[in-house]
Amino acid sequence: MQQSAWGWLIITYLFLAGAGSGAFIAAVACDLLAPDWSKALARAGSLVAGPLVIIGTLCLVFDLEAGFWQPWRQFYMIGNLRSMISWGVIILSIFIPLALLYAAALNEITFVGKLAQKYVTAIEIIGSLFAIATATYTGVLIAVVNGVPFWNTPLMPVLFLASAISTGLAAAMIVAAIIDVKTIKTLSNFALGHVIFLSVEGLVLMLFVFMSLTRSTEAALSASGLISGTLSPYFWGLVVILGLVVPFILSVFEFLEYGKMPKSLVVGADLLVLMGGMSLRALIIFSGTPPQII
Amino acid sequence: MPRYGIAIDSTKCIGCHSCRVACQNQNELHFDETFNWIKSKDRGQYPSYGKEFIPLQCNHCENAPCQRVCPTGATYTSKEGVVLVNPKTCVGCKYCMEACPYKMRIIDHRRGIVEKCRLCIELVREGGTPACVTTCPTQVRIFGDLDDPNSAISRFIAQTGAQPLRPDLGTVPKIFYKRS
Repeated sequence: MQQSAWGWLIITYLFLAGAGSGAFIAAVACDLLAPDWSKALARAGSLVAGPLVIIGTLCLVFDLEAGFWQPWRQFYMIGNLRSMISWGVIILSIFIPLALLYAAALNEITFVGKLAQKYVTAIEIIGSLFAIATATYTGVLIAVVNGVPFWNTPLMPVLFLASAISTGLAAAMIVAAIIDVKTIKTLSNFALGHVIFLSVEGLVLMLFVFMSLTRSTEAALSASGLISGTLSPYFWGLVVILGLVVPFILSVFEFLEYGKMPKSLVVGADLLVLMGGMSLRALIIFSGTPPQII
Repeated sequence: MPRYGIAIDSTKCIGCHSCRVACQNQNELHFDETFNWIKSKDRGQYPSYGKEFIPLQCNHCENAPCQRVCPTGATYTSKEGVVLVNPKTCVGCKYCMEACPYKMRIIDHRRGIVEKCRLCIELVREGGTPACVTTCPTQVRIFGDLDDPNSAISRFIAQTGAQPLRPDLGTVPKIFYKRS
């Protein structure tokens, strides 16, 4: 009898797939909705989206055992459309090429980029749908697991999508600050994005934890382990305070004091959001408790 | 076709782990692998204290969550209602281990696949009985066809009102327990 079969590789995948698809959504939103000064963020988001999801998918493959040593077995993995993993394989194999094409189009990389530029709107629309599918399915993946009642809630994919958007925006902002130092001033424009998405994520997280307290005995056990049990220092410290509250306050100041915030604080807030997103995935996986059977 | 199951009278179990060793022997498992377990539960308080031993193994659920989540279809239900893993198509993603509410599956790191109780189906097809059933010194387990109302297992379930573990989980297990 084993408690949890999944560990850090799956947690890293859940986080990177969320951050990558969130970065794609952030890039598309900037390219379509915001004016010219936001192009640096769109470029940065498109550049980071594909690689993040690819590294995450590699984590998934490393976690396989027979399917890793005998890679041809991976072709069997679309064999059962009642399994969320089969859907995940399909979604990822469509989203990853689209994300790479989008990066090529926005950054004019080789002739592929020039070709992709002609169809950039189509890539943006279809890509966004698959980005949302990627972020959401990682939540559904664990929400349908009978073995852990804490995860069995429709709020799980909503929480994962909210976390994906805020971590994706953070990843895109960090890369924008790296590739284009001048954007550090215009980055303040996106602080409002952080304020909005971190609030949404905090709200969904609150609903998820509070509703779990009354959902079932096992879910309540897991939820109380998070808010007052052995995992509570990590939950309050890493997820709530450092991952949500501190970056939220920093983003509010960044938005109010447009462009005057020190660079280290702007990027620091983004790094905290990423750390919070990873900690959230880890704590959700580690707090899962199987039903009491005897 | 028969629909095989096992009824377990936990009041008879002395916790000797013979069933586990017999299973390891029958299925040629390594010393650190096992398809069945004995868990104990405290009953009452001193001076009227007792320990209940509960033998556990795959429940061969009719509505098996492990089979539903398996991406390759490696987990399947045989025509006798036994939940089995095809070792040739399992990739070792461990999704089934997460999905099983009873946590009755193990990962074999040597072969990289997930393994579980097979209800000794090869032996049963040759007319035998699962090793855990025959080896038990106190005859805790009764093996048989749940669809045959005259089988020993059906009569035992009818007489004692044996129930599966956590029937509320909705997986419709085929291992029944008579608890004290």
